[in-house]
Order: sequence, then structure tokens, then C-alpha cells
Amino acid sequence: MTPISLNINGNAHTVEVQDRALLADVLRDNLKLTGTHIGCDTSQCGCCTILMNGDAVKSCTVLAVQADGARITTIEGLAKGPDLHPIQVAFSQCHGLQCGFCTPGMIMATAGLLSNTPQPTDAQIHEGLSGNLCRCTGYIHIVESVKQAAKAMQELPV
Amino acid sequence: MNARFTPSRQEDLPLITGQGHFTADHNYPGMLHAYVIRSMHAHARITQLNLDAVRAYPGVRWVATAENLNALGAGTIANPVTVKGKQGEDQIQALMPLLAEDTVRFVGQPIAMVFAVSALGAQDAAELAEIEFEVLEASVDPDKTTLSTAVQLHPNAPRNVSVHFSSGDAEPVNAAFAKAAHTSQLRVLSQRLMGVPMEPRAVVAIHDAATGVTTVHTPHQGILGMRNFLAMASGASPESLKIDANDVGGSFGLRGGAYTEHAALVLAARQFGCAVSWVGSRSEIFLSDWHGRALILNGEIALDAEGGILAIRFKDRVDAGAYNCMMSTFIGTRNLSITMGGVYQVPALYMESEVVYTNTTPVSAYRGAGRPDIAYAIERLVDFAAHEHGFDPIALRRKNFIPENAFPYKTANGSTIDTCLSGKLLDRALELSDYAGFEKRRAQSVSQGKYRGIGLSTFLEASGAGNAPKDQAWGEFNANGFLYVYGVTGPSGQGHSTSFASIIEKALGWPADRVRYEAGNAKHKLLGNGTGGSRSLYGAGSAILAMCHKMLESIKPHASKTLGVDIDRLHFENGVWVADGLSVSTETVVDALASEEKTALNALGEASSGATYPNGCHIAEVEIDPTTGVTDLLHYCAVDDLGQVISPQLDRGQVHGGVVQGWDKRFVNRWCTTTKASC
Amino acid sequence: MYSFHYQKAQSVAQAAAALSRSEASRLLSGGMTLIPSLKHRLIQVDELIDISSLAGLSDIRMEDKHLWIGAGATHQSVSRHPDVRKFSVGLAELAGLIGDPQVRARGTLGGSVANNDPAADYPAAVLGLGATIVTQKREIAADAFFLGMFSTALASDEIIQGLRFTQPLKSAYAKFRHAATGYAMAGVFVAQMSNDVWRVAVTGATDGVCRWNEAEAAAGQVPEDLRFVHDNVLDDIHAPSAYRANLVQILYAQAISRLA
Repeated sequence: MTPISLNINGNAHTVEVQDRALLADVLRDNLKLTGTHIGCDTSQCGCCTILMNGDAVKSCTVLAVQADGARITTIEGLAKGPDLHPIQVAFSQCHGLQCGFCTPGMIMATAGLLSNTPQPTDAQIHEGLSGNLCRCTGYIHIVESVKQAAKAMQELPV
Repeated sequence: MNARFTPSRQEDLPLITGQGHFTADHNYPGMLHAYVIRSMHAHARITQLNLDAVRAYPGVRWVATAENLNALGAGTIANPVTVKGKQGEDQIQALMPLLAEDTVRFVGQPIAMVFAVSALGAQDAAELAEIEFEVLEASVDPDKTTLSTAVQLHPNAPRNVSVHFSSGDAEPVNAAFAKAAHTSQLRVLSQRLMGVPMEPRAVVAIHDAATGVTTVHTPHQGILGMRNFLAMASGASPESLKIDANDVGGSFGLRGGAYTEHAALVLAARQFGCAVSWVGSRSEIFLSDWHGRALILNGEIALDAEGGILAIRFKDRVDAGAYNCMMSTFIGTRNLSITMGGVYQVPALYMESEVVYTNTTPVSAYRGAGRPDIAYAIERLVDFAAHEHGFDPIALRRKNFIPENAFPYKTANGSTIDTCLSGKLLDRALELSDYAGFEKRRAQSVSQGKYRGIGLSTFLEASGAGNAPKDQAWGEFNANGFLYVYGVTGPSGQGHSTSFASIIEKALGWPADRVRYEAGNAKHKLLGNGTGGSRSLYGAGSAILAMCHKMLESIKPHASKTLGVDIDRLHFENGVWVADGLSVSTETVVDALASEEKTALNALGEASSGATYPNGCHIAEVEIDPTTGVTDLLHYCAVDDLGQVISPQLDRGQVHGGVVQGWDKRFVNRWCTTTKASC
Repeated sequence: MYSFHYQKAQSVAQAAAALSRSEASRLLSGGMTLIPSLKHRLIQVDELIDISSLAGLSDIRMEDKHLWIGAGATHQSVSRHPDVRKFSVGLAELAGLIGDPQVRARGTLGGSVANNDPAADYPAAVLGLGATIVTQKREIAADAFFLGMFSTALASDEIIQGLRFTQPLKSAYAKFRHAATGYAMAGVFVAQMSNDVWRVAVTGATDGVCRWNEAEAAAGQVPEDLRFVHDNVLDDIHAPSAYRANLVQILYAQAISRLA
């Protein structure tokens, strides 16, 4: 067992993990942050997407030991207290979720996309979410959610 | 980031903040984890099953096999529907054992389950299993599985046929074909595919020795269905099973009943007194979630000289997979017949279907369960007939639409269609898609070396029916200020809570955000159907509406007292109690009541809803690059009559999702089985 | 996955020493190929040596007229780096087409090149630009590096430190993505290295990245009768060989039309 230090959603954590433990499993099982989901075993579905040192990554394809010392944001850490993040608001307002299983990953991937491309075109949104799958929505409302989030984030006071 | 807002749906807040409650999120102290050992052969006899090393592995608590599950009273996977064959004969059934006995019949079939203190540990232990197989020939092609040269899967099913079914009247159909001016025949394949809800199948079971009740967390489509099928599979009594209402990550028909893992976990939990968990990996779920569709539909149409449809007849082949499980019979018999006239006025209808076995994963309900397949086959047939006999495909359709004044319309084989205004929908779709301008656009594509095509379908769906005699909903005003409504139907993303709350706000005048819907509280012993065939809004919604009407009756005397008017002068309109220029809301009246008075308002609503027939006209325009075969969907137009629309946004979401699953079926999702050694 | 022992490498030398100690030890860079393989229990390692945070291994910089990309540079960093885009549009675009955004944030040039997946993108750019692979032991020319499916000239304890690229006059990459996996069903990298020197590298279509001599001889043209002929055009569940060969021809034409 190896001790690792993770900064998750602004809080410092030390966890003992097996070397083979996946970051997604450590978040879910050790730290009880079950908002990050596991939907596949081929690193394709994106349900496990989190932000690691600012980048959207698939936590099912990162060993927990690789994340030692990293700054991690999960879906649970996106809102600031009772104030939801504009991306979360947009997904609800635009009905960009139905069953909600892919949603945390979609939202975190969107966070990654918008941090690098604040005003994405449709093509950039499609590419930006190409690592995330959904079976319920048909993606149309998801793309609208991203556009609305981008707009809302542009209008935020600096 | 100041973003206080009203969510679009009540369901949204936990789901967008990572506070959802999906099955695999449960983590009980001391929980055991299960791993399934599966067959990698399509057809084989198990000649050795030595699990000693697995049992001895550190951390392993138990290894389940067919033998010890049977000793615990386990049953088989449910096969709830059987039919009589064409000659009145009983259907042959091949039931699926929870764990394989001496023969495995599909790749992925469960053979044993390892229970250990960690999931990885269970998987490590499983590798030590010593299993030997005598590999047998496999029959994987539904077309060829009934040939005398094909290997027989089950001793009781010669030619691998489960049943040869028929529906409708052959005589008038044959007569119509005999005298028809034109006939056409088209065979279409609705290929075997996978449902792939985003949440992998999972089960967590905890047994309470004191009460004798096992609580089961699992994605499902309704408590009664899951509970009853789980009782059948595990041998446990229904009363001793409590199905938890948790978040469900999609279902599309695959979660109506219990699989091996559900039953085995109930039996394991009862032995160990601690929670037990099984979470499927996507790879094993591709193999072991029931597959969808797998139908060969051979349609024929008879037309008179002017293109009037005289008769439609189908000869279908239904691939049940290796065993009769859950809904394959229902799909291959009832569901291929009830809407086989489509949106057309067809005087004579007849179908036959053969439900057959192949060495593949069992097939069950997936998104429309046979009805979209038949709709597809009919529209292809109509198009083909138009092409073959020189009719305009749109004119041919129009000519045969059920006339507007003919509703309710009883089809030749007994379905009563409430309404289906195909002509109006077609007009709108042609307009929205600029159908008239297609040839010009096609010429442009051709000038760039591409092909361009446009496809149209007019279709209907039979929804709302179900096996339960009625749907019930129980509503109670809670001490914390909410109206809690309980029902049987289980959501998996459709927005039941939000939709039912909308119905209640309109019918009762009680605010939607003070309504909560819970699927699955067994203490109320409610009757009703699970989610399936787009029935919840209509079926459960009607029961909820009935519940509201009962509550209005009970609230009325209180409202009259509040307003100080005679009860006869009081009426309820637009969500508000009104009399003599005075008005008061239901909310105000109820909030002022003492708790016993509130309790007296609690009511049971019931409704017996038959089938209803939502219908549509969709048009798709595509461009194909002939050098690569890549197809671009340039425009898709969906015009649908969905009856009473409770939430346009939710309905649009459902249509989007359905359309994209249609794209998925056409271009992306196909299960291929080969007997070649390398692929 | 099976158990293993994980260690963060302290230096390239230390990582190389760990590699030579055991045949079942592997380097871990981005992990986008290795970790899924481990999860499926397709491979078993006893020692996993993480080189992803070694100092200097992720640098991207101009060295005189050449572009140096460290083995640890992520696809994302390559695709976004202004020097790379100025240097070779084809290279920058290719890096931006690998996998998906989450994969690009982790996957590395060194990992991709050392793995030499026949459907990977990078080998097409490396071979197409005639880059030099620099290890802790020596420098290997691209033409001598790729030896076939998952096979390279690297010794078992040899570690790529980075790649040195020579600037093309023009370059482009055209790829036909597999819809589900994002891998190249075929990918063609075209580079005009000097007035008379053209390089064309093909990935995804055969048992390993290869040069297409006939296309190179066409010197930037797209002759009517140019055909992709190769002994080992892949024929598999994704596509028959005739389809793939045809794809190569189409992608070559696309790349030519997008040279910049």
C-alpha cells in the first residue's frame, strides 16, 4: 500500500492505496465521492471525467499513485456552496441530462473545454465532448447546454 | 458564480452536483464483492468444474455454482410470456438456469460467481478456476438454425424452434393476394444489437435477519416487475424482497426483470448477513445484458390497380438467443402483430412468426420491442411497392392512411387506434423538410460527386398497455410540507417526478415543487405496470389524475369553510377554488389544516388504461460520399402527435434520444457473431 | 488489473536500470495505452516505472532550425504550442486529432512512438517528417525505427528522451477516424522537405507505418493512376483491405489539397 496526497475540491487528503488502484475507484470508494461514474472499461465513455491540474482527464485511466500531489476537481467541487456553476445551471435549464449518469463527466469535460476555448463553435463543442458518450439525450440539448454555459460565463463579472 | 435558479426538472439538482444515488454508489461496511466467471464458448459441455483453488484464495468467502444455488431454492430466469402455436400447441420453453449446469449455450453465460472481500480479489481468485470444456458446434445464424444440419441447442426443441405463432386471418389475406393487381415482397433485417444504458448493470443486496427482508439496490423499471421476477429467479418470496428506488442510468427495456446476478446476490446476502455487491464491467455487459431486436421480417403487400392496400402479410423469424428469457416471446408474437397495419387502412392482416434458438445472448425488450421493427418493415415495404409498381411513394401512403373520420379505428386484427392524423403530420413534415426542393439539392450534391437521398416514414406506436389490471398511485401530504406520491413505475431518465408534479399542479392546484414522486415503496402494496412502451405518463399519469380528483373532493369542504361560502357555490377552476368573486388556492387551504385533517386527504388513485397510439412522420435527408461510404445526416425532421404534452422540453429530449438511437441502429450498433476462429 | 509495484523514476538512467533488471517491467508515460491493457489483464507487469514527471522530458523548443519535442510532451501540449504550429501545420493538426481531449491531456509522443500501434497517428508524422528519435543511448533515424506491428528498434532498456524534427516546407495530415475508437483506419502524412524531396507516410492501413514511394515520386501531384499497393494491407472487422487501400488514396489527395 502506498500513501498518496491529493488535493480534491480544495481539501487535502491522504489515502493509502494499492499501486494498481485507479483514481476513479479511489475517489468513489475511499473518498466516497461517488459523483464520478464508471461507465465502460475501454476509456471511451468519459463518465469518469474529472479535472486534474486543470485538464479534463479520464480518472479510470489514471492510477491513483500517478495523481499523487495533484490538484483535482470532481463534480462535487464545481459549485461554490449553494451557488451552482454556470455549466451546471445550463445543463439543467437546457435539459442536457435525462438519466444523469453521463452528466458529471459531461459537465467536467465542458469545464475543460471552456477553460481553453471560452467561445466554442459547434464543431469545437463536438470535438471537445468527443470523449464523452450519452445514450439518453441524443446530444442536441447537451450542445445547447454548453453554448448557454459559455455565454453565461462570458457575462460573469470579472 | 452566482447562480441560484429553478431547475428544469426536480430530478436535476442531485444529478448535476454529483449527489445522485446510483446502485454502484452504495458502499456498506464489510461489503462483499462478486465476480462472475463466464463462458467464452458459444456452445460447450462443461466436463470439469474445479473451483477448489478459487475457494482457497485469500479473501474469498463463497463460490456459487448451479449446484449450491439450486440447494438454496433458486429458480430460473423468468420467462413470463408463453403463447400457443399456430396449431394450438404449447410453446416449447428452454429456461435459463442462473448458473450453467452441464452445458453453456452463449458466450458470456454465467458459470460461477466468486464472492470476496474486494472486487479485484474476487477477479484474481476467479482466474484460478479450472474449467474444461468439450466445445460443440454452435448455431449462431437465425436463418440457418432451423435447418436439419444445425446443431440442436435443447433436447426438447427440435429444429431449434420454440414456437410457430400466427395472428390474424389467413383466408381473406390469401384471397386478397390472389386477386391483387400488384403485389410486392420485401425482407428486412432488424439486426441484433445492444441496448447500452450508460449505467452498467449492478446489484447491491443487504439482508436484514431481524425482519427477513432483503433490500436490493439495482437499476430497474418498476418495483413490482423486478420484485416478482427476482422472486421467481431466487426462490425468495416477493414479500421478503424490497426493491430500492434509486437513480437509474437508462434502461431502454433491459431492466424489467432479474438477471443471474440479482438472484445470486439475494441468496448470498441471506447467508452472510452483510451487504453484497456486483458491478458489471462494460465488456461483460455487452455479452450479458439481454440483446435487442434480432428479427427477420418478411413482408408482403397486396394492392389494387389504384394502389389501395388490400392486405399485408408477414412471415417473421424471431431470434430468442440461447434461452427463452423475459420478453422475447412477447416481442416476437404480440408486438409483431398488433401494429402490423401501420397507419394504413388495411382490410386484411395476417402474420406468422417462428421464435428460434441460437447460441447467442438471450434477447429481450429494447426501445419499442418489435413495434419500431414492424413500423420499419412496413414503411420499407410500402416504399418498395411504390417503386416496383410505379406509384409515387407519398401519394401511395396518403391514399391508404386511415381516414380522419374513421377513428376510433379497429384494425383487421383487433387493435383499436384512438387517433392517427397521418395526413396532417405528413403535410407538416413535407413543409419543414422542404421535401419539394429535394431534387434541386440532390443535383447540387451530384455535381460534387456525392449521392443524396431522402427518406420518409409515417408510423404509429402502441403504448400504454401493460399486464397489471390497473395502475395505482397513492398520495399523502407529508409533515414536512410535501405531497408525496407513490407508484409502481420506475424512471430511468424520463422525468417522471417532474411530469407527475406538473399534472398534479394543473389538476390539483398544488405547486409542482412541493410534489415528490417515489417509485417503489412496497409498503403501500400498489398495483401497476413498470415503465415500458412509453406508458408511464399515460398509465401512471392517469392514476395520478384520478388521485387528484379524489383529493379535490376532500379538499372542497375545507375550501368552502376557508372562503366562508356554501359548498354548492364553490367550484375549482384554473387551479384555484372560486366562489362569489372570492378565491383561494389549494396550497393555502391545505397548509392551514391540522395534521389529522391533512391525513384525511390522502388518496388512492386508480386507472385502467388501454393502449394509446402516438404517431408521427419523420423525414431524413442524407448525403453519401461514394468514395468512403460515409453518410452525413443533413437534415432530420420529426413531426409527432404525442397526445397531451405535459412538458415540451422533456418530450423533445425523448424524441432526440429516440432518433439518435435510430441512427445508432442504422450505422453503429450491430452484434456480429462468427464461427471463424479469427475475425 | 494484476498487482504490480509502481515507482516514480528519479532519472532516465535510473529508469533504464530498473527496466534492465526485469523483463516484466514497463515504462509508464501517459498510460493511455498501457493502463487499458493492464485493466483488461492483457499484460502483466511486475514493475511499473513512471517517467512522466522527469524534469525536461516534456520540453517543446526550437533548437536552431530543428524542433525538439520531449518524449513526455502530451498531445495536447504539442497541438497547442505556437512553435509547433509555425513549424509544421501537419504535425500540430495530427496531435490535435489523436483520441479525444481527455486522452490528449495525458497521452505522450514518446509513449505513442515507442508503442508503434499500427493504427496510431504519431508514427505517420515521425516517419513523414523523417524525424530523429533520441534515446539515452543513441539517435535513431525514423526510417530505421519502425519495424512493424508494435515493434521498434528500441532495445529493452532504451528510453526515448525526445524527437528532433527537421522543418518541412509544407506538410499536412489527413486521417479517417474509426467512429468508435478514434484510431486511424488510415492516416496519410505528406511533407515537402525541400524543393525535390517529398515524404509520404501511411498509418492505420497496414501492419505498421510505412512510406509510400509511388506517392513520393508524384512530387505533390495526385496522378489518376496512383494506387496504394502493399503486401499487408489490413483486412479486419473494421474494413476489408480494398476499402483501406482506397482510403489511403483519398486521404493522400486530401492531404495534398491541404498542404501548408
